Amino acid sequence: MTLFFRRLPRFNYVAPKSIDETLSILSAEREKARILAGGTDLIPQVKRREVPSPEYVIDLKDIQGLDTITYDAKSGLRIGALATITKVEQSAEVFTHFPILALAASLMASPQVRNRGTFVGNICNGVPSADSAPALLALGASLKVRGPEKERDIPLSQFFIGPRKTVLNPDEIVLEITVPTPSFGSYGTYLKLSPRHSMDLAVVGVAVQGTRAGDICSEVSIALGAVAPTPIRAPMAEAMLRGQRVSQELIDEVAKNAITQCSPIDDHRASAEYRCDMVRVMTRRALTQVLLGGRA
Amino acid sequence: MEEYSVIGKHVPRIDAKEKVMGQAKYAADYSLPDMLWCKVARAPFAHARILNIDTSRAERLPGVKAVVTAKDFGGWTWGFMATTRDEPPLAVDKVRYMYEGVAGVAAIDEETAEEACQLIKVDYEEIPAVFDPEEAMKQGAPVIHSYRPNNVSVEYHWNFGDVEKAFAESYLIREDRFETGKVITGFLEPPASLAYYDPSGYITVWAAKQSPYFHYRHLAGCFNLPLSRVRVIQPFIGGGFGGTKNDSVTGDFCAVMLSKKTGKPVKFVYTMEEVLTTCRRRHNMTIYNKIGMTKEGILTAVHTTAIAQGGAYTAIGPLTMFLTGYGSPVPYKFVNYKYDGLRVFTNNPVSAAMRGHGFTHTRFAIDTQMSMMAEELGIDPVEIKMRNALDNPKRGEVYHAINGFKIKTCGIKEALTKVTEDAIWANRDSMPKQEGPISYGVGLSGTAYHGGARQLGHQSCGAIIRICEDGTVNLLTGATDCGQGSDTVLAMMAAEELGVRYEDISLKRVDSAYTPVDPGSYGSRVTLLAGQATQLAARDAKKQLLEAAAETWKVTPEELEIRNGFMFLKADPEKRMSFQKLSKIACYEGSGAVILGRGHSDYGVEEPLNFANGTGEGGINFSFTAQTVRLGVDMETGKIDVKDFVLAHDGGFRLHPMSWEGQIEGGAVQGLGQAIYEGFIMDKGKTNNSTLLDYKMPRSTDAPGIKVMDVITKDPDGPYGAKEVSEGSHVSAPPAVIDALHAATGIWFKELPVTPEKIVKALKGNGKWMK
Amino acid sequence: MEKIRMSVNGREFELQVKPWATLIDVLREDLGLTGTKEGCGMGECGACTIIMNGETVNACLVLAVEANGKNITTIEGLADGEKLHPIQQSFVEVGGLQCGFCTPGMILSTKALLDQNPNPTDAEIKKGLEGNFCRCTGYTKIIQSVKDAASKLGR
Repeated sequence: MTLFFRRLPRFNYVAPKSIDETLSILSAEREKARILAGGTDLIPQVKRREVPSPEYVIDLKDIQGLDTITYDAKSGLRIGALATITKVEQSAEVFTHFPILALAASLMASPQVRNRGTFVGNICNGVPSADSAPALLALGASLKVRGPEKERDIPLSQFFIGPRKTVLNPDEIVLEITVPTPSFGSYGTYLKLSPRHSMDLAVVGVAVQGTRAGDICSEVSIALGAVAPTPIRAPMAEAMLRGQRVSQELIDEVAKNAITQCSPIDDHRASAEYRCDMVRVMTRRALTQVLLGGRA
Repeated sequence: MEEYSVIGKHVPRIDAKEKVMGQAKYAADYSLPDMLWCKVARAPFAHARILNIDTSRAERLPGVKAVVTAKDFGGWTWGFMATTRDEPPLAVDKVRYMYEGVAGVAAIDEETAEEACQLIKVDYEEIPAVFDPEEAMKQGAPVIHSYRPNNVSVEYHWNFGDVEKAFAESYLIREDRFETGKVITGFLEPPASLAYYDPSGYITVWAAKQSPYFHYRHLAGCFNLPLSRVRVIQPFIGGGFGGTKNDSVTGDFCAVMLSKKTGKPVKFVYTMEEVLTTCRRRHNMTIYNKIGMTKEGILTAVHTTAIAQGGAYTAIGPLTMFLTGYGSPVPYKFVNYKYDGLRVFTNNPVSAAMRGHGFTHTRFAIDTQMSMMAEELGIDPVEIKMRNALDNPKRGEVYHAINGFKIKTCGIKEALTKVTEDAIWANRDSMPKQEGPISYGVGLSGTAYHGGARQLGHQSCGAIIRICEDGTVNLLTGATDCGQGSDTVLAMMAAEELGVRYEDISLKRVDSAYTPVDPGSYGSRVTLLAGQATQLAARDAKKQLLEAAAETWKVTPEELEIRNGFMFLKADPEKRMSFQKLSKIACYEGSGAVILGRGHSDYGVEEPLNFANGTGEGGINFSFTAQTVRLGVDMETGKIDVKDFVLAHDGGFRLHPMSWEGQIEGGAVQGLGQAIYEGFIMDKGKTNNSTLLDYKMPRSTDAPGIKVMDVITKDPDGPYGAKEVSEGSHVSAPPAVIDALHAATGIWFKELPVTPEKIVKALKGNGKWMK
Repeated sequence: MEKIRMSVNGREFELQVKPWATLIDVLREDLGLTGTKEGCGMGECGACTIIMNGETVNACLVLAVEANGKNITTIEGLADGEKLHPIQQSFVEVGGLQCGFCTPGMILSTKALLDQNPNPTDAEIKKGLEGNFCRCTGYTKIIQSVKDAASKLGR
């Protein structure tokens, strides 16, 4: 029997005081437990009964020290698990050294959702269109993950397996995102395409981070969202550009090439054909902005 | 121009204070002790026979107090016309659209009711379904209602003049196929009600209804009670826009029946996804339009074939198909007109009325085609509209449209002049056409919509004015303000007629136990008809007051006047008394009196609507709107940035400037949504975009800057010269946007919504996309 | 049941709440503060916007237990008795509302916007209110109301 749920299902609420306590609950309950950080993805999913109803909802917010954003030139940026999207958007360090992340944050959902939702949560939700993912992929971010036995660092490029599927085990938790400091002279941008001017999921999301040394593109990374089962990099497109003399013609070719690394689907938001076409347009624009400093 | 004390002034909305304080109560805000929660269980099939319903497990769940299914309603059905009562509160022998309601549960809290719904077991036999109107009309298509074996719910064929002869003599003929989109009203407040069935046989509901009296008649019929024992109390309403809240929903009937079974109050609240999948939508139509013109661009003939998706039940479909063809003969004159309207059942959610009812489809088609033909003939787009537009009849003259309605005022030419003299249109050639990948375009439309809707059956509005003994005034109305501002305007009229201050009027909203009956808030009729009733009631009360004063002052009532809160002798205005004192005298002098003014609207229907041949007077007068739109199209992504709207609206007279502007602005943005953003994506009866994320209505960042200009024609048939102002801009927006898209891209888009993807596809097809 | 303590509109409350109850449920049903409206229940419309520890949030996405120890302002907490807050006053005078259902959330988002940015441009107002959906007004008079409020608060 179908019905439209207005209420959440019954569950137990736990607010552990430490990571260790969290991990022991996760070890015991595994798939019967869900982590609650900002709740902006969890609550709608559970309310819609899109996911199995959890027996335990584990609120991380009583654990001290998880909501910080810290930066130093050597180890880079660290975004704690509970740092909200607003905090990323408004952080001076992020704005100064990783403006592409502040930009991506500002394009997500609404002020109300940004005030609660977390960057780590957005990543762990694992949807292909996640706005935080392309920028983080382009910057070569990693996740610090702790499990019952050990801690591991997972490069973000290895974290996503498929739509809403990551390599995270049910008894593990992401503690923070670490982002290495981009090299001097590196610029980046994130372009999000959607029909309206707010509140839409990305139909195509393109993040580019790159460095020019004179005429040469010494470094570039291109990351794409919403055009494959996971957020992806476009390594072949990058390879076409890295070490080459930057020109509009080359950028146009690279943008076309980026399409070959995509595998979008037809869905009610857009067709695969449109997404591929838009990868070309938006990649070209992002590369032009970053490497030629202008508009395509 | 007459001098008014209250009418036309910039006063705050009468309900603004309680709304900004969060004190205004909407249906879901009401609770009663011992209240139960109702939840509707729905079928996961678009077309299936119901073989068996087993509610036993649900009934046994602790906290569940009652369960209802179709058998509780004894086969009762409802519908707009006596011959189309085909809709049951809960599905009987089969379900006809995805998620049609099959059972209702009442429990001590909503979570328990939700759990119980999951325990209801229904055995279905899925049967073949049909989802496209043209498919549904074919031989061998699954039959949705046995009383319409060819699935044609409504069919009209009208013929005026001689279209064949006129086409034969035309210089230019165009035939085009247009599609209007699958859109919905989009109110923010989901349907809800709190119902109590008193065991003595008396129903009380607080229900989110834009037209509460439809609901009270439905409940009386469903529960076999006299009207006097059905009490519908109207809370504040969180948006209406026609359709759903002008009707009853499954939850309404379930809540009352569950209250009857349990003896407790029962409340239901729909979710937004429930609204977007099961509630009434606008009919989406395929319009095959054929227009003929002379070499000078004068219309010779119009032939419109409209094929409308009806969805699973008839609802108000017969009126929709009438209105779709009815308004076409204005604002551009023609005498040869053929209209073939077909509404077809499909296994989709029910299509019903929505703002701009019927007119939006055909005005979009005709206006766009006229612009196309102007281009072909090499005639300026403003010029071609002016050549065909109706002139404003001189005072005392009446223009008769070919199908019988009358026009006494028509400001379309003035409206067109105003918007085209405005900078956005006038300077369009000197403004940048291209900025990077963005191509700009300015579009124009000129449309009409009727107000003061009158139909068959009961159409009179009533009003009661009670003069309180201290000089304040209670205005009882049967009309509903669902946000459009009618309460404010009615209070202003009462104050104007009585001669008191606006602040002294207290408006009493609908409570069918006490307020006069009203046909409902639709077809822009409230200001006109409930307005007339209010004027008459106020004059009646004033007459009684002046008679009492005349006694006291030993003069005749004709020698007295009331203005700005004072009654005075016309011949010697210094001789006066305050309205408070006047009221006291009237109420307390001698044996005392109770001052009650009453009135009801009496706009007759000289020519009743004839659905079969398209004649009749559907309303009192017509509004006229001209609009320009400036937008930019990103020629690589197809994304649209709407920059400016300019509208000139002939609404007769501006009763309340704030509401006038607000309705024009809101209607236009809602029309923008229809033109480029909104559309349900259906897959075999299932709605794939049933959230506010994916059913894309305009957000603040999508809204253009809007300039509103007035055209004042003071219609003799509207109170203070008023005509409608709530729907005109909703009709004018889509064709103006389409015209602007053409100016920006060179492409005529004929299928709404024009999404970025559609634009890119068309640009690619024309070789205009990236190399 | 979980016990929570929170301050709502300046008053302290101690409540027993179900773990799966949302903050909007508790505000509306346990505290009778029905000014906060539920439109979509999924954080997409902003009708349920409240201010929690100085930031706007969608009350439908906050579990009641998460509000433990927090300061909450709902629409009912803005006026001073019958004296309207300048933002409320602007919405009334300019006409930034029609059906009123989005209004409580819209006004609280306006407050958060003006607290952060006392003199926003039209574009900044639109972006600041992007989380609050309105079907009635087309946003024009809402934007005008916010500008009017900004000038009132600036005085």
